Amino acid sequence: MTHRRSQNLVGYLFMLPYGAVFLTFIVLPFVVSLVLSFLEYDLTSRHPATFIGFRNFREALFEDRFFWKAVGATFQYVALMIPAQLVLAMLLALGMNAMTRGKQTVRALLFMPGLLSIAVTAILWQWFYNEEFGLFNHLLKLVHLPGVPWLSNLHVAMPSVVLMTLWWTVGGSAAVLLTGLQQIPAQITEAAALDGANGWRGFWMITLPMLKPVLLFMVVMNTIGGFQMFTQSLLLTTGGPEMATRGVVQLIYDTAFGDFRLGYGAAISWLLFIMIAGFSFLQFRIIRRFSE
Amino acid sequence: MKTARSKIIWVIMVATALLFIAPLIVMALTSFKHESEVLNPEAIIPRHWTMSNFRYVLSYPEEAPFVRWLLNSVFVSTTVTLLVLVFSSMAAYAITRLRVPGGGRMLGVIVVTMMLPAQLFLVPVYLILSWFHWLDTAAALIVPATAGGFGVFMMCAFMKAIPRSIEEAALIDGCSPVGVFLHVNLPLSAPAMATLGIFTFIASWNDFINPLVFIDSARNYTLPLGIALYQGSYSTEYALTLTTSLLATLPLIVMFMFFQRQIIESMSSTGLKD
Repeated sequence: MTHRRSQNLVGYLFMLPYGAVFLTFIVLPFVVSLVLSFLEYDLTSRHPATFIGFRNFREALFEDRFFWKAVGATFQYVALMIPAQLVLAMLLALGMNAMTRGKQTVRALLFMPGLLSIAVTAILWQWFYNEEFGLFNHLLKLVHLPGVPWLSNLHVAMPSVVLMTLWWTVGGSAAVLLTGLQQIPAQITEAAALDGANGWRGFWMITLPMLKPVLLFMVVMNTIGGFQMFTQSLLLTTGGPEMATRGVVQLIYDTAFGDFRLGYGAAISWLLFIMIAGFSFLQFRIIRRFSE
Repeated sequence: MKTARSKIIWVIMVATALLFIAPLIVMALTSFKHESEVLNPEAIIPRHWTMSNFRYVLSYPEEAPFVRWLLNSVFVSTTVTLLVLVFSSMAAYAITRLRVPGGGRMLGVIVVTMMLPAQLFLVPVYLILSWFHWLDTAAALIVPATAGGFGVFMMCAFMKAIPRSIEEAALIDGCSPVGVFLHVNLPLSAPAMATLGIFTFIASWNDFINPLVFIDSARNYTLPLGIALYQGSYSTEYALTLTTSLLATLPLIVMFMFFQRQIIESMSSTGLKD
C-alpha cells in the first residue's frame, strides 16, 4: 500500500498549482460574491461592511430604474444580435460549403476580424461611425445620401453596436456551421436530392434538421455571450445616448468601480446570472420541444 | 449551368471575404497617412505616404508609452500561457493517470464552474486582489487568468485518449511517475498543448476587461487598454491610434497565418470565444 500512498502524494503535488489558483480565484470569488450581495459594502466609506439581507436585490428589482433600463438594453441587444448572427452565419457557411475552390481562404478571411482585440475593433469602428469625418458617412456622401447619426441617435446606436459585433464575431460562427455542414454525410443529401429534395426544400428538410445540435449549441452560447455584452458599448458609446446602449454588465461595472458599491454590484451580477441561467434553460426546453 | 452557379457563388463569397477584411486594410493604409489626410479622406490609399506615425509610436512618448505597453502585453500573455500549460497538464496528469483521490469529482466541479459567466467574478476577484495588494500589478492580470477550467478540461480529454500501454512500458523500465509525465505524457500531448497555448495567448493578448478593472497606472497598461484609453483622451488622433492598433494586431495576424487551421478548428469545435 505504500506504493499507492506515494503515488497519491505525487498526485496531490501535481494537483497543487492548479488547485491553489482554482480555490483562490474561482471558488473563493464565488463565495465572496455571494456574501457581498447581502452586504452594504462601500469602498469609499470608513465602515465598509454591513449586513443588509436582501435589500440590494430589492433595490435593483423595485427601486432602481437604471437596472431595468439596463435589462431592457441587454434584451434589445440579444434580440437584434442572435437572429442576425444566426442568419448571416448560416448564409456564409452555405456559401462556403458550395465553393469548390478557395473555401479555406475565404473561411480564414471571414475569421480574421475575430483576431482583433475588442479595443482595436471599437476604435476602428468609432472612426468609421464618426458623423463628421467617419468613413461611413463619407461613403454615403459620395453617393449623395445624407449622413447617419450612427452613435448619437437613440434608435440607431444599438443597431450600430450590433453591426460592429457582427463583423467581429460572425466569421467564427460561420466556421462552426461550416464544420457542421461538412459533417453531414454526402449520401444523405444525394439520396434526398434523388427524391426531389434539393435546393430550398433540401435545406429545410435535410440540412437544417441535421444541423440542429450545432445550431442549438450556438444559439445558447451566443445568448449567454450576448447577455454579457459590455466592452463594445463601453468603448463605442460609453452606454449612451441616454443610457440606451448600457447593458447590465456595464451597470455592474459602473456600480462597483464607478460608485464603489461592491455589494450592490455583486447583487446585480447574481440577478444577471439568474437571468442567463433561466433564459438558457428555456431555450433548451423550447428547442427540444421543436426538435421532437 | 452547374459551373455558372458555382462561379457566381465563388464571386459572391470572395467579394464578401474582401469586404470583411477591408476594415483591416483601411487600418493598415491609414497608419501611413498624415493626420490631416485622415480627417479629410479624399482617397483610401494615402496620397503622401509617411512613416511619422510609426516613428512617433516607437519613440516612447511620455503621454503614451506604447513600447512599454507592448512589453507589458508580451510579458503578461507569455506568462499566462506558460502557467496555463504547466498547471493544466500537471492537473490533468494527476486526474487521469495518477488517479488522485477525488480527482474525478474535482474535474466535475471544474466543468460546472466553466459555465459560470465571467462577469460574476469581476467584483469578488477585484476585492480578493485588493486583499493581496495585487491591484495595479502584473500579478492581477496573470494569476486569476490561470484559474479558468478550460485548460484542465481539455488536457484531461486529450490525455485520456493516449494509450496507457506506452506509459506502462516506461514504468516497467523503471521510470518514475514524474519521469513518465516529463518524457512520455508531455511529448505525446504536444498537439493539444499547442492548441491550448495559442488559444490562451490570444485571449490574454486581447483581454480588455481585466486590465480595465485591475490596472490603474498608465505604465502598467497592456496594449488594448492603453490604446483604448489613449483614444479616449486624444479622440481625434486617429492616425496614431490606428497605427498602434495595427502594431497590436500584427503579432496575432502573423500567428494566424502559421496556425490558421488549429486556431479556427479549436475555436469552432469548442465554440469558445472572447
